[in-house]
Amino acid sequence: MEEKILEILEEHCEEALDYNGESMMEDGIIDSFTVINVISDIEDEFDIEIDAKYVVAENFKNKEAIIALVRKLLEE
Amino acid sequence: MQFTSYAFIILWMFAFALYYLLPKKMQWYVLLIASVLFYVIGLKGFPLNLLLTGITTYCCGLYLKRNLTGEKDELIRCGDKESKKALKAAFQKKRKRVQIIYIVFNLGLLVFYKYAVIAVPVIERMTGSRAGFLENVMMPLGISFYTLTAISYVIDAGRENCEVETGFLKIILFLSYFPSVTQGPFNRFAQMKEQFEKEHVFRYDRMLFGIQRFVWGAFKKMVIADRLGIFVDGVYGAESSAVAGSIFICATVFYMLQLYADFSGYIDMAAGISETFDIVLPDNFKRPYFSKSVAEFWRRWHITLGTWFKDYVMFSFVMSGMGRKITKACKNKWNDIGRQITPIIGTMLVWFFTGIWHGRTVSYMLWGVYYGVIMSLSLILEPSFGVWKEKLHIRDGKVWSFVRMARTWLIVFLADVLIRSESLAQAGKVYGSFVTRLNIRGLFSSELTSYGLNKYEFVLLFVVLLIWLAVSLTEERGEDVRIYLSQRPVIVRWVCYYGIVVLLLITGIYGGGYDTAVFMYQSF
Repeated sequence: MEEKILEILEEHCEEALDYNGESMMEDGIIDSFTVINVISDIEDEFDIEIDAKYVVAENFKNKEAIIALVRKLLEE
Repeated sequence: MQFTSYAFIILWMFAFALYYLLPKKMQWYVLLIASVLFYVIGLKGFPLNLLLTGITTYCCGLYLKRNLTGEKDELIRCGDKESKKALKAAFQKKRKRVQIIYIVFNLGLLVFYKYAVIAVPVIERMTGSRAGFLENVMMPLGISFYTLTAISYVIDAGRENCEVETGFLKIILFLSYFPSVTQGPFNRFAQMKEQFEKEHVFRYDRMLFGIQRFVWGAFKKMVIADRLGIFVDGVYGAESSAVAGSIFICATVFYMLQLYADFSGYIDMAAGISETFDIVLPDNFKRPYFSKSVAEFWRRWHITLGTWFKDYVMFSFVMSGMGRKITKACKNKWNDIGRQITPIIGTMLVWFFTGIWHGRTVSYMLWGVYYGVIMSLSLILEPSFGVWKEKLHIRDGKVWSFVRMARTWLIVFLADVLIRSESLAQAGKVYGSFVTRLNIRGLFSSELTSYGLNKYEFVLLFVVLLIWLAVSLTEERGEDVRIYLSQRPVIVRWVCYYGIVVLLLITGIYGGGYDTAVFMYQSF
């Protein structure tokens, strides 16, 4: 699963893979368009639906946070 | 009562003293009383509407709490996955219904107050008689700010992104918190609640930093923004056909800086006041004129408004049932281009609403659409830009960064002509003047000093703009100027502090028919 998410991130925003800061969204590494495209690909790949309530800076602060979110949604 | 008035300074001092002298559990009550006094007596605001928003917000929050608790209780009793899914959907449907009623009601009030003024002449023209009570409707101060703040709480509570508040007075404090009630920033409940409930201990350095930020904000407002405003008002108030294009260019550049100095000055003052109470407000500006694209510019300008629209309009639309249907249909039909259709619709919606939130005129609507189109085009054309860049052998570096910054200034410049002009007709004349009578020599003639600022005022402006630029460049390097100064020798430090205060006292624009009290964003 992790590999797939990293592949999706690489396709839309390579910088996200090396990012070590506090918040990708606030630091402008990943903009809202990219977030939408990443979500769309993750939804298609894992057959899940990511609700708007999960689209907060906290869940997109770095690649680990995105992986954790997907893992949580898959477990639900 | 504005932040720059004596009455406000006295209120601030009293609130500050009581805040740290009274028992810690009472601190938020001090803020509440100060906020109510500031709004009702100081601003002569219309408190009934604020109260109505407060009551509906509080009740809606309680309903959401009951609904979410009910859902969790029922889910425990539920067995299989399918019935759990159905149960969740049923509870969510009820929540959404109540949230929609709440949002329609509160946005309805905002639209009513905002548009009652322009509806009067239309109604009178259509009916041939007077518009009755509508003529006396006054827009409650800060309604554009506290309505959106309240909506963010209700949506976050429904999404379980913040805890539901069971104390009515805390909701009122959240909505009316006096440093941010009239012009923002847009606070989020989760961050504010935590800070309101924390016990705050007095710290000298924090008080000093707060006062420094307040004074710096007042400096930007009264020394820079109000001085720029004299020239801008003079040029845009003159007969447009008689003004040279170069003078209009100068006035519009001044307007860009005026708007920034005025609004960021207010935010610095609000954040400084709040800091003395050990309450941190969210950042609202991050030196936007250093942006290399329009998208970046809007991530750095009025940040909390941008994130509000992104979180509650853009993502809500894209992730909604309708948004998903559009995405799916477009993706099936046009693949890669198709997947951008929903974000583009979302962007256009965001910018249309941003436009009408800022102003009641067609100019603001066009201003919003203009930015929406530019953002959408940049999304579509981004891959092509990369190809052109490679073909033209353009390398990243300082020169290319400057070109990109200049491009951003130009886009903002053209948009600002639209909102600064008194009418669309005047905007047309201003754009026309850039082409038909540019007359660069006008900038070096006596015409420049005939719009309210003499040559000494221009020299002063140049000096204070240089100070502002130096501070901005220091911040852009990631340094906090206040910390930087606090580490300098005592003489350097106090020369800087006194220098800014003396400049503020001597060169600030006070009275004399020019009202310093009015901040530009207060009218939005």
